[in-house]
This record gives sequence, structure tokens and C-alpha cells, in this order.
Amino acid sequence: MVSGVLVSYPFHEDIPLVSTVGLETVIPFGSFWRAFHYYTGQLTFLLLIWHLVEALLNRAEKRRPLWRWAFLVGAFPLVTLALFTGYIIRGDQTGLAAGQIAEHLALKIPWIGILIDRLFFAVSEGIHRAFMAHIYLSLGVLAVSGLWHFRLRALKAEDLSLWAVVGSFLALVLPVGLEAPNFEALLKGPWFFLGVQELLRHLPPFVAGVSFPLIPVLALMGFPLAPRPLALILILWTGSYLILTTMGAVR
Amino acid sequence: MKRLLLAVGLLVLLSLLIREGFRTRAPRVFTTTSGRIEMCLACHQERPEKVHAREVVGCSPCHGGDPLRIDKSLAHRGLIKNPADLRVVEKTCGQPTCHPGYPERVKKSLMATNRGIIDTLRRYWGEVPASAPAKRPGETVRELMLSSNTSLALDYFRKLCGTCHLWLEKGKYPGFLGEKGGGCVACHLVPGSKEAKHPVLTRRIPVENCTRCHNRSGRIGLTYQGLYEDEGYGAPLIEGEFGAETLEDGRFVDLIPADLHYKAGLSCADCHLPEETMGDGREYVHFEESVEITCESCHGGQGISRKGRRLSKVIEKNGRLILKDNQGKEHPLKPPDPIKCRHPVHRRLSCQSCHAPRVPQCFGCHVRRDPREKQLDKLAGEETPGAWEEFRSYMRYETPTLGVKGEEVVIIVPG
Repeated sequence: MVSGVLVSYPFHEDIPLVSTVGLETVIPFGSFWRAFHYYTGQLTFLLLIWHLVEALLNRAEKRRPLWRWAFLVGAFPLVTLALFTGYIIRGDQTGLAAGQIAEHLALKIPWIGILIDRLFFAVSEGIHRAFMAHIYLSLGVLAVSGLWHFRLRALKAEDLSLWAVVGSFLALVLPVGLEAPNFEALLKGPWFFLGVQELLRHLPPFVAGVSFPLIPVLALMGFPLAPRPLALILILWTGSYLILTTMGAVR
Repeated sequence: MKRLLLAVGLLVLLSLLIREGFRTRAPRVFTTTSGRIEMCLACHQERPEKVHAREVVGCSPCHGGDPLRIDKSLAHRGLIKNPADLRVVEKTCGQPTCHPGYPERVKKSLMATNRGIIDTLRRYWGEVPASAPAKRPGETVRELMLSSNTSLALDYFRKLCGTCHLWLEKGKYPGFLGEKGGGCVACHLVPGSKEAKHPVLTRRIPVENCTRCHNRSGRIGLTYQGLYEDEGYGAPLIEGEFGAETLEDGRFVDLIPADLHYKAGLSCADCHLPEETMGDGREYVHFEESVEITCESCHGGQGISRKGRRLSKVIEKNGRLILKDNQGKEHPLKPPDPIKCRHPVHRRLSCQSCHAPRVPQCFGCHVRRDPREKQLDKLAGEETPGAWEEFRSYMRYETPTLGVKGEEVVIIVPG
């Protein structure tokens, strides 16, 4: 969140790539804060998955009413979407490709497709909507986790410092990807989106890009209703998504 | 744990401060006139010519690399020294927004395949039967570069002819050989000024670029400029010296009257069409299939090649045909002499029969291969057994023999 405020300060959403390159090459410490923002975002996503697995293994769903469990699980698609819009707004080749694919997929959703597109993507009009969605989604995550969830399970300053140091170290040693627009026939989106991209080669967009990613979200939300069959579905889905991601990565 | 975290955190902070202190930052984000980001311009001061101006094209569309970075190690990833190299040309010169279609054509052209040289060599040396098709798989320069396919004729080609083709990497071999090849820039590059720090890419191909290769066999490039290769086989001709001038490869040349087109300031590319030099999309085997221009295209014709293509440089002005050369100079086109050239007695004579009164001729060409020695295979880039040496009996600058080819009387010149 802190790094987000720092990188958004010199960021102009009407010239996203110029802003990103400016952060990388012109503004002092800009490349560090951009990389720190990127890696802490990735860590948040990965740690959330870890937390989810941990909660499932501890049968945490048993200790909450269904609506509350479903609300908590809602943080997962929220973070994923925040991460995804973060890729779009950097305005490079990966971001443009991700945004265009997401827009087309959103428009495939019946009835509410246009609404979803205009809330989160609409990249054909620029990245303004994705930029604001990135901020609002991040604030939403903060509201869910910071204001409500952390009251149930406090986040220690020591843990937070540990991950801040890990993020800083990664930001120092590993430059963040930034891909110039090119004419390559093969475009790759964010790493966690490669599985969807791969499936899009084989199945209709609505099935591959909407229905398939919704399976784990619905399975998680409804987990307390039928734990065993839904756990099996989650395991099968995760396995198949890992295979698809690997296939997409090696292309 | 807290202390360890604090120590690591401080170390990371210190590293960050030191790195930032030594880091070069760009003064601003550099963009081209179209708004494309080109951070290469933050460091590089090279100034190509107007058509490829740095403000318009930038560096990365041609030379690759990462135009969004200024850290040298990141910015220079995937850098291409010679964008015109045929191995990469589809992504550089031939990319969709620049010169699309040319790479495909050029790669099929004779200057890239050398099919004619290879076919003639193998046929004359008896390696393929007379009935064999002229276009045979595996017998182009590129295919030979990628294979170890060899024979006596192919070994000769690999070692003595293997630097006169467009697939040769520019600068791969030392000396004058390093100037040859390089794909598009084999023809389209001329040195730039010292201040520009970048060579000039041009459509005005100078004769010197053509004669880097077209200076042996028929020696047309030398004769055109009024140069006659003659070391006198050990007999000094001019005041005890071998020749008036020396070529880059060390051969001696005397001065003879240059071709009148050369004297008029015309370069090879003023007459030869782009479809001849860069290919027309078809894969020919021999030069005579590829060449389109004839004397009559300009003199007595209407500016049409023998394949029916209009010569863009031949235009009508004040009711007369003129040729506007690459420098913009206008040359009135004289029609053939109505009496001498159109006389029925001369109807079978080619123009050269009369207009090439003296031609350099090389007699007694023979080669020797020493299997004990090694020689550089120019296609493979490594030395292999067998060293070739060329010999000739003598050179003559005299009236050529006339012969009949098909229905036409032509000059016949050993070369």
C-alpha cells in the first residue's frame, strides 16, 4: 500500500508507459519503489494462497457462518484482480496484451459483461478505468483484511517487517519486467494468467476465460456445504491449472 | 530475530543508497516523433541520415535491445549489430511498418542463393549429369552454410567463392573480405561523417559497393570503371611497375577507357532494376534469367524492361525520353543510329558486338588443390583439408571474338 502511494505519485494514467519508464529511468529510487511494489504485490498474492490452504487444512470454514466464510474467501479474487490490473496499468506489451484479453473475456459474460468491463478494464479507452480499479481494489483488500480480518488474527509487526525486507531484497537484485511494444506473434500475459491464455487456445473464450477461472472461487465459497467433493474439485483444478501454466510458459 | 531483521534491513537500505548514488539517471523520458519510447537516445549520440533520423526511428526498431531501459546490461540485451543481416532482417529492415516483403524477395535472389555459380561449377566439373534439373535442393549458399554437404566443386566454392553473397556476416573476416556481405547493407551502406558516428543508409548505391563482389570472372565492375586487371604475369608494364593502381585485394590494374555510362555519372543501380538486384520473388538459377534490363530498354525502347516492367527512372520530358539518375541528374536517351543499327545487315548483331570494341579477357584459367594443406571454408568459418590455388595463362585487352548465341551475334569473352 505504502509503495503504491509512492509509485502512483509520479504516475500519469494518460501516459502509462512513459510514466513507468520515467519511474525506472528518471526518478531517483523510482525503479526500487516500482520493484518493491511489484514484489510485495506478488508476495501478497502468494501468501494469500498459502493462508487459504492453511485455513482449509485447519477446517477454518467450520468455525464461521457460511456468509462470513464466503466474504473472507472473496478477498482471493479481489487480490487477483488487483494484481491483474497492476499489470495492465504499466502500459507495456505484457500489460496491453493482458488488458485486451481481459476486456474481450469480460465482454463475453452475458448481461453484466459490459458493466464488468467498464468497472475494471475498458482498455480500448485507455488505462484510466484499470488504474482506478487497481486503487479501489487495493483499498477494498485493505478494508477486508486490515479493518476486519486482522482484528480476528493480528498481523505482527515482526512478520510485516520480514516480508518488507524480503520485498526490498528482491527489488534490489531482480529488475521487474518491462516489455517494449513489439510485433512478436506470441504475446504472454502475467504469469498467473498463462493457464487461462493456454486454455483459450483450445476452448471457447467464455468457457476458458470465464467459467474455468470461476470454478475455484465458487468451490471455495461453497466449501462448507460439501467439503470433500469440493476439495477434490479444487485439487483437480489446481493440478490442471499448473499443467496449463507450464504449457503456456514454455511456448 | 528482531535484531537480525533490523541488521538485514539496514544492509538493504545501505545497498539501495549506494546503488542510487552510482546510478546514472536519464534527464527525461526520450520519445520519437510518433511518441514511442526510446531511452537509447539518453546515451547514444549517433545520427543516421534523414530517412532513419534518430528523432523519427530511434535505435531499437533496427538494432533491437530494450528501449525502455538505461542500464547498459539490460538495455543491450538482444542487441543486433547489423540489422540488415539476413538472419534477422524480417524483424528489422523488413518489419511490417518499414520495408515488408523485401527480405523474402532478397533471400530468393541470386546474390543470396548463388545458385548460378554453384550449378555452373558442378555441371562443368562433371558432378551432375547434363539432364539434372538446374534447381537442386541443398545447393544454395544458406543451405551449404547449414550443412556439411561438399564435393570437389563445392569445396572450391566454399573456399574461393564463399564471401560473395548476402548471407556473409559483415566484418566476419579480416581486411577487404570484412567489407563484403551483411544482407541489405552489402549494397545500401556508405560511410557516414565522423560527427554522425553512424554510416549512411542509401538508395543511391555507389559503384564501389557493387564492385566489392562484381570484380572477378567477367570483371564487369572493373571494366565499367575503366580498370583492367593485369599484373602482366610478372612483366612490369608501366615504367617498371606492375600496374597503375592496386585493388583492395592486392591485384594490380591498369587504366583503360571507362564505359561511357560511367563517364556520364551513372552507377550500376541507375540502369539495373530493384527486381534484378533484390529479386522479383522468383528463385532463378542463372543471371540471364534474372536480368531484365537491355540496351534497348533505354535506347530506342520506351523505358520497358524485357520482362515488361517500366523503368521508373526513364521519364518523358519535352517529348523526349530521359533517364533521371540516382543523383537527380538528367541524361537524354539517344535512340540507336537509324542507319548503322537498323540496317538489315546488322539486324542480328547485339549492341555489344560493335560498342564493345575492346574487352579484357582472361585466358588459361586453371586451379590446383593441395590435399596436404588446409584452407578456410568461408561458409563454415573453419579451416578444412584441401587448399585451392588459381592460375591463369595471360590477360588480354583486345577485340572480343564474336559468336552466335541463339539467333543473336554476341561477344564471347573468356573470364
